[in-house]
Amino acid sequence: MARWGMVIDLEKCTGCQACTTACLMENSRLPGEMWQDVLFYSEGEYPSGKLSWLPRPCMHCENPSCVAVCPTGAAYKAENGAVLIDWEKCIGCKYCMIACPYGVRFYAEEKQKTQPDIRNVFPPSGDKVWDPPYKMPEHVQDPKHGVGIQPKNVVSKCTFCYHRISKAPEGTTDLDPNDPATRDFTPACVVTCAPTARFFGDLDNPESNVRKLIAEKRGTRLLDQTGNRPQVYYLAGESPAIPETRSVRNPKT
Amino acid sequence: MTTATYSDALARYVDFNKKPEQMDIALMAGGALSGAIGLAFVFYMLITEGHSAFNTSSDMAWGAPIAFYLFFLLTSSGLSIIASLDSVFGLRVFYPIAKRAVFLSIICLIAGFSILALEIGRPFRMLWALPFSLQIRSPMWWMGVLYSTDLMLLFVKFYLIHTGDWHSRFSHLIARISFVVCILAPGTLGLVFGMMAMRPAWHSNVMPMYFILTGFTTAVSFMLFFTSLLPRDKTSAPNVDELYHEILPRLFFVLLLAVIAIRFGQIVTGLWSNFEGLEANWLQLQSPFFWIEIVAGLALPTAMMAFDSVRRRPLVQFVAASLFNTGIFFSRLELLIMGQKVPLFKGYWAGYVEYWPSLTEWMLIPAGCGVFLFLYGAGNWLLRLSDTERNNH
Repeated sequence: MARWGMVIDLEKCTGCQACTTACLMENSRLPGEMWQDVLFYSEGEYPSGKLSWLPRPCMHCENPSCVAVCPTGAAYKAENGAVLIDWEKCIGCKYCMIACPYGVRFYAEEKQKTQPDIRNVFPPSGDKVWDPPYKMPEHVQDPKHGVGIQPKNVVSKCTFCYHRISKAPEGTTDLDPNDPATRDFTPACVVTCAPTARFFGDLDNPESNVRKLIAEKRGTRLLDQTGNRPQVYYLAGESPAIPETRSVRNPKT
Repeated sequence: MTTATYSDALARYVDFNKKPEQMDIALMAGGALSGAIGLAFVFYMLITEGHSAFNTSSDMAWGAPIAFYLFFLLTSSGLSIIASLDSVFGLRVFYPIAKRAVFLSIICLIAGFSILALEIGRPFRMLWALPFSLQIRSPMWWMGVLYSTDLMLLFVKFYLIHTGDWHSRFSHLIARISFVVCILAPGTLGLVFGMMAMRPAWHSNVMPMYFILTGFTTAVSFMLFFTSLLPRDKTSAPNVDELYHEILPRLFFVLLLAVIAIRFGQIVTGLWSNFEGLEANWLQLQSPFFWIEIVAGLALPTAMMAFDSVRRRPLVQFVAASLFNTGIFFSRLELLIMGQKVPLFKGYWAGYVEYWPSLTEWMLIPAGCGVFLFLYGAGNWLLRLSDTERNNH
């Protein structure tokens, strides 16, 4: 079975947030609950100010700390490499949110950042968080793999669009949105990326496009020192480094 | 067995015929009122708004409820250590407060678990998902196992000494196992935070020791707080004056110095370091909770306990213990906030994570303390908490 991974070319990424929007729509997320986001960093002032950005999905780590800390086994590593949450086991303790070095896990039971509270505009039916007018079809929703609209009081996260990639034919090397044979199995953020900055393929296959890109263009991983070993690689091109700082300005400076 | 026989059997364990002291009535009435108001408010908000009634967020995942839970659990472990000083280490002078310490330890756990049940997303699911998952890599799983074991052992220990069995082999075995568990449990709770390398403000191998030490200090402070309210001449234990007037206050003073030493090390290291995420140490200087801890929790009680002639007085002990309890209570909250203040990968524009507990979260204080005080008043009335061993070993 393929071990899926993603490559993001920062030289191509324009920071347009189309990936963020596609993810929100594909996965019926609440406003602000951005499984995929683009982070912005600014340094200096006009005329020499510098703006940089970093698209940040879940890293689907090889050695995920979020899985290690989960006291119930709700967070787990799937065979195809995706890090998922079983919503039927999650107790909402939020320890995985504490333990994820990349801040990519979410808990919907919080005061909403935008008003009116969209959960009251589209109130939920049953145990779900909300019931948006445009949503993933019911038969695609899969709480065991954290896909669809989550129940109340559980943690949610990017699934690498598990409902798509898990349907890819066995032996597929790369999921290329430009190939009609694989487009439907490709994660929404990859499909929608206008400058084609994202690539998705089998990290265990030395013939895959993603492996070649990592090798030829010096793919690097975010916070590799944590030992989590992300399955999302960045191509920084001629930039000296990916803008990986997690914090804001130091109060001492 | 008839109902009357059941009543007779129960009466052997519970003193229903004893008239409650005024203090017991005040504790029970105050606790019931405070608990009822707190719980009613929190339940109402949770039913109408769910956990959105809390000001926690995806960036500040753990807030005030976890801090309050920490306070009660660590205090419980410290009380359990006090209860072991006599039976495990042979420090016989602590026998007069052993039974009270075990009871306080039990009700601290109950108050802490009650708060956790209100905070956690799916508390009922936890009851089966946690024990059957066997997630041995998770420090939180171990914490659950150890604190559940702790509670069971405390119940057995209390039953044994309540029925007069202070010195049987079984009683001593339970006391020793309970002591080991009450060290491991807060230590593991320290690991829940200390192991998190991705949260530099928490990441420390000193965290388990810090939790055990501060839990023990809070426990000594609790004992001073509650025994200073008691009419002290009513107990028949021979060394009780020495215990209340000299040993406990002196122990409290030494522990305060130890807490100050460890906190000084933490604060100075944090302020000095440039490591990303540790700027939270500078940000905490702007937090009122931090200064409540330093001034009310550490400086004032230490000054009050420094002189032998002063620290002997019950009123001084009561005030110093109250100040320390308040300070350590808010220090737990500040610790929680500090570890999450610097956001994880939100970009420069997001800023630091702002958090102030909501009214619902604050109301967990009267809820938890109410449950605790009610149970303590009832226990003090019905369960002969001043009992001590009778030198029959």
